[in-house]
Amino acid sequence: MKQRATTLLLMLPALLLLAAVFLYPLLRYGWLSFHASSVLTGLVPVPNGGANWLRLLSDARFWTDAGQTLRFAVCSVALELAGGLALALLLHQPLQGRGALRALTLLPWALPTTVMALGWRWILNDPHGPLNAAIRSLGGSSYAFLSTPATTWFFVVLADVWKTLPFVALLLLAGLQTIPVDLEEALRLEGASRVQILRRLTLPLLVPYIALALLFRLAQALGVFDLILVLSGGGPAGSTESLALYAYLNAMRFLDFGYAATVMLATFLLLLALLGGGWLLLRRGGIERTPDRAT
Amino acid sequence: MAVRSRLPSLRWRRCALMLLSAVLLSAVLLALLPSTGLVGAQPSAAQPIPIRVLMPAPLADAVAGPVARFNARGSGVAVEVVRGPLDTETISDLAISSLLLGEAPFDLLLVDVSWLAKYVAAGWLVPLERWFGPEVLAGMEPGARLGNGLGDHLWRMPLTGDTGLLYWRTDLMERPPRDTEELVALSRDLQRRGKVRWGYLWQGRQYEGLSCVMVEVLQAFGARWWNGATARTELDSPEAVAAAGWLAGLLRDGVSPKAVANYAENDALQSFAAGEAAFLRNWPYAWREIEKSDGPVKGKVGVTPMVGAPGEQGGGTLGTWGLSLIEGSPHPEEAVEVIRWLTGPVVQRQLAIEQGYAPTWSRLYDDADLQRRAPLLAVQRQALQHPQLRPLTPAYAQLSDLLARQVNGMLTAQEGPDQAMAAAQGQSLQVLRSVAGTTGPKGTASEG
Repeated sequence: MKQRATTLLLMLPALLLLAAVFLYPLLRYGWLSFHASSVLTGLVPVPNGGANWLRLLSDARFWTDAGQTLRFAVCSVALELAGGLALALLLHQPLQGRGALRALTLLPWALPTTVMALGWRWILNDPHGPLNAAIRSLGGSSYAFLSTPATTWFFVVLADVWKTLPFVALLLLAGLQTIPVDLEEALRLEGASRVQILRRLTLPLLVPYIALALLFRLAQALGVFDLILVLSGGGPAGSTESLALYAYLNAMRFLDFGYAATVMLATFLLLLALLGGGWLLLRRGGIERTPDRAT
Repeated sequence: MAVRSRLPSLRWRRCALMLLSAVLLSAVLLALLPSTGLVGAQPSAAQPIPIRVLMPAPLADAVAGPVARFNARGSGVAVEVVRGPLDTETISDLAISSLLLGEAPFDLLLVDVSWLAKYVAAGWLVPLERWFGPEVLAGMEPGARLGNGLGDHLWRMPLTGDTGLLYWRTDLMERPPRDTEELVALSRDLQRRGKVRWGYLWQGRQYEGLSCVMVEVLQAFGARWWNGATARTELDSPEAVAAAGWLAGLLRDGVSPKAVANYAENDALQSFAAGEAAFLRNWPYAWREIEKSDGPVKGKVGVTPMVGAPGEQGGGTLGTWGLSLIEGSPHPEEAVEVIRWLTGPVVQRQLAIEQGYAPTWSRLYDDADLQRRAPLLAVQRQALQHPQLRPLTPAYAQLSDLLARQVNGMLTAQEGPDQAMAAAQGQSLQVLRSVAGTTGPKGTASEG
């Protein structure tokens, strides 16, 4: 009992910090979402019942953006997981210059998103960007990549994958390195093929790491903001606008903080539902096998 | 077993090291990047009263010389210019973030004409009529007088009188087009003869710049975005639909490239400066950029006020900057003195010579020496006679956002002009209704 009290006491500073950084803003958003707070109220919060939430329900732009954000997150995270796993398996091989290779693959991740997004915007520029120059040198004609919803969306996803794939690969590589070599050797001695080893040994033991990467990346991707703001500005015609961008517009451009808080909180709730669902699913799929039990 | 179990731990350490180096690397990269945030200019001596002014970087650089001279005078006030980001919306974000916290770290803010109503409604600005009587604006060009007053108050003193202008190639035609029809006809002829790849370049990206373009196109076709008398938008009028249809036609007929739908000011300028087009819509700064460069069109560019459709009066969108006093400034009297001096003819003269910004004072336009040193002056004055103000309402940001979104949808061929404009009008009325539904707006749209 006494030990329990000590534990709690020792955890208290961390808990207080977490509450200040996470719980307070959430509660504040919740409170603000039941108020009108905009230029029209002189930025003074005035209770308006559930008007913000009612508005949200019938706000087509919110739901369009929710669909777009979800589509972006699912596509980019799926590609990152697949690519990250391949990259991790490659970097796990005893290659010459592996250390340098590992450091190199990390570079996109170390780049600030804004800089990276500006770079992509330049690459895709019509007609001066390098991509269009390449197309022209092959005999094609320039294409306005960022003036078409489909190609803009494709390159937003691609840019995100390019940047965060190393992060996923790093996480999975860490997981790969916890898998004991003797297990692999034993399987090989018994005549298992490479594919069998991957399916029966590597992947199952990697599940906790995959789950971790999935949760991290899904949470980040659903909150995507800076990449889209810089690369496409949410265009063309709002087709790449994310929920975070919409919340930002409401707060910083429209100065409608009540509604911005509502959008933010609704986004958070959607995220929570999604991650909760994903977590439950993974739990059933064997996430309980924690890394230390695996070794 | 013991030997084997050490292997993973070694790997773990290597992994941790890699992680650490990645974090360190990103930290170093971040530190190397020049920060876009607040970078104070020279810290001044302790004695004089510091007056801080937040400005976008190009304007901050442009006034650096005069400010240094002002500070050297030893008037008891030290002006500190805070260099903000270059982009208009980014600097607004920065200003708003500070203003929301209450005690803003600056006394004066250089306010874009499109922010004014919003900032006034938020209660961030101090009315200036206590210091500047109604006669003060009388000495300015008509366009420069707009967008400074709201309600019965004067909220900012204009520093620049910039408007959207039409750039044309003096090597490809003898005179600029007189109307939109001529603009298109000249473009197509030059394109047919292989003189230029494109006819007309402008800003079609989904952002504020597209709203500025729309203001001009609406005016060119006798339509208007905002009716100040009824405080309503009129975006679905037949004239407005015709205006939008003209823009869409530019892309459809290949007079403007499809890429225009993602062009901001600089994208359009780069392409025009590379000699790829006959016409460009941009702000006055573009002329200096072209003349400063060694590009293929240097010395071959003329500037004219925005043209209208045949029989209609064209007009350029007002993109003026002015100084406002921030509520809560500890030294309002001194800050106003700085406004008086910074918006005065000495500084404006320098801005016109060095950066091509249009002055607001009429007498500067009559100055023969300045006319010689700032070649755009005559055109800029002409443009200020038919200025186009964006809707002066606190809900402007919403209205502009949805208009740019709809028009960009039209430009990227997702809907026709009539659908786009009908949708924009419907959504605008919805915004205005929700605005009227809350509390009465503090300042309705009376301009002066």
